[in-house]
Amino acid sequence: MPLREKIYLEHPERCLGCYSCVFTCSLELFNIVSATRTAISLKPCSLGDPFTVIFCTGCDKPSCVKACEALQQDKEGKLKLIDPSKCDKCETFDCAKACVTGALLIDPETNKPILCTQCAKCAEICPHEVIKFKETKQ
Amino acid sequence: MNKLIDKVLYINLAESKHEIIEQPELFERFLGGSGLAIHLLLEECPKGIDPLAPENPIILAPGPFGGLFPSAGKTVAVFKSPLTGNLGESHAGGRFASCLKMAGYGALVIKNSAATPTFIEINSEGVNFCDASPIKGFSSFEAERRLRGCAEVARMQSILTIGPAGENKVSYACANIDRYNYFGRLGLGAVFGAKNLKAISIIGSGSIEVPDPELYKKTFEKVYKELVETDKMAKYHFTGTPANVLVLNEIKALPTKNFQQGNFECAEAICGETLGEKWLDRKVSCPLCPIGCMHVTRLRPAFASGYEYEPIDVYCNYESIYALGSNLCVKTAEETLQLIHKSNTLGIDTMLIGNVLAWATEAFEKGLINKKQTEGVTPAWGDTKSYLTMMDYIVSKPKELYAKMAQGAQKAAEAYGGEEFAMALGGNGLPGYHTGYASILGTIVGGRHSHNNNAGYDIDQKILHQTAKPDQIVDSLIKENEWRYLLTSLVICLFARRIYSEKMVIEALKAVGIERSLEELEKLGSEIYHSAFEFKFREGFDLNKVKIPQRIFEALTANGKLDETTFRGMLRDYAKREFNLAL
Repeated sequence: MPLREKIYLEHPERCLGCYSCVFTCSLELFNIVSATRTAISLKPCSLGDPFTVIFCTGCDKPSCVKACEALQQDKEGKLKLIDPSKCDKCETFDCAKACVTGALLIDPETNKPILCTQCAKCAEICPHEVIKFKETKQ
Repeated sequence: MNKLIDKVLYINLAESKHEIIEQPELFERFLGGSGLAIHLLLEECPKGIDPLAPENPIILAPGPFGGLFPSAGKTVAVFKSPLTGNLGESHAGGRFASCLKMAGYGALVIKNSAATPTFIEINSEGVNFCDASPIKGFSSFEAERRLRGCAEVARMQSILTIGPAGENKVSYACANIDRYNYFGRLGLGAVFGAKNLKAISIIGSGSIEVPDPELYKKTFEKVYKELVETDKMAKYHFTGTPANVLVLNEIKALPTKNFQQGNFECAEAICGETLGEKWLDRKVSCPLCPIGCMHVTRLRPAFASGYEYEPIDVYCNYESIYALGSNLCVKTAEETLQLIHKSNTLGIDTMLIGNVLAWATEAFEKGLINKKQTEGVTPAWGDTKSYLTMMDYIVSKPKELYAKMAQGAQKAAEAYGGEEFAMALGGNGLPGYHTGYASILGTIVGGRHSHNNNAGYDIDQKILHQTAKPDQIVDSLIKENEWRYLLTSLVICLFARRIYSEKMVIEALKAVGIERSLEELEKLGSEIYHSAFEFKFREGFDLNKVKIPQRIFEALTANGKLDETTFRGMLRDYAKREFNLAL
């Protein structure tokens, strides 16, 4: 399996729930501060746990790409929307449903999937190294 | 209406297909749990296969009381064990049994292997096969957090996951359920890993019907009252199983320094009482159980100065404390909990990893293995830092030594020496009770080589300081082995065995529409115990060839030094009476 730089879970227990990663992402992608228009999200607790950060792990052969032909993965592993017009009529959101972690969110404004570009801004801002950007096989 | 939920859900991972087959006769005959699962294993598992081959089935079976009666909600898993090469049987609590039954299934059979990492979602309608690539390599905890659904779904959702150890096929990798419960022993995690199956989620959105609601309610109340109004469960609720640490230390049965000693100078630092006072965070229950035996402690290691802590909750029980505490001479509760947490995060059985690390420490001390082979680690008694590193290496296997250690202490000792102190029987690491003859013999003749099979340790403690009467010990073990297989077919939690007396079992069965006499139940228990051994013998288990590490006869037990000739005589007697075998 090729090694690629990806977002990687380093110290999950250290998450403060500060939303820095989320807001940085929405700023980077849409120039706004939003918890819904973002490619990374926070899930507040399950069974008494702290916050869980949900992000695109940049799978090899991702299931979201398999689910819809409007999506493609390039050689570097980045997701691309190759046929945005397909999204306009979409009612099923198969791409989002295909990811078991729910990492792929649909933009409520445009109805299009919000694709993680693995830009690493979220990892850079995380104050507690919950996520990191590094070369990994995952 | 059917008295028992009698649908078996068969899942074929290779073809992403499922099939639901009603098997009323099977449920009528075995009632559920161990009995039903072992029968299905004999049917589904071809003779002589590699435990990591796709043909090895995984069978998960709740019991007739699951979701209906208190302290009877565990799930039994059976498979061919990658650790012992014969019967793999492990029991775990959590919501799995209730959810499976509420989704309408009495048992689950998982067959073949998936081509790519897979997660299956089970509900009343059937099965969804999903891509597990996004959670590949994640710990059980992190995978579970991501799979747990929204509030609506999560109300009755159970999630089973494996960690990196299972994915990397460590022979004693465990499977985790709903965060605090484990199929700990005999390597179910590795079988999941070999099948490319990372996780299962069950949504129990349906309900379970009973034939006579009035009778059911009355019987439920009776069981419940026994549980909360008598002191029969007090130990499990208040201090939890770690209460054993001081009790066993006092009678010199707390395995210490790889069974070289029966008492530990720092026992008080790692005992249940210390944990309760200083480390306990809360207690957690399985559905319908009022006991809360799962004692969850809070670790908060500082990762930087300025009061920067990682909040970590660690479920701990006596066996984990013995294996990663006293037996490794780890002197503080904090370090013991760190080791337990590390083991849970990687998804390895805490008992087995402690067993393997104890062997490695002694082998290193005696020069059987060196720094080059250990990748620079220098393990020593109580050296938590080295142990943490070695755990990572056992999962990633950077050297041949670690690949062997990933197969258990016995396999490692066969390759590097030190078989006399590789403290395993029948391939499975010894439980934490060096009490005497019954504990050792019980472990050998138990279906899953566990102390829970027959409570030999309990028999030993009752005859403390008396002259052992070998035939009485053999008698008790036969009786307990057989009756306990009946209890685990009803999947009554063995902690609650004193609540579910013979009379109570019969009444509870009646309340779910099943009439059985004590004689019939005893006969069934015996039949199931023998089917467990039918599978074991079929796969090559041989009572004649069980390796017994010499240390067992050298170290003091609570009942003094064990005499090998006496012990062999008892084993012969047992084999003759129970299996009509001449050893």
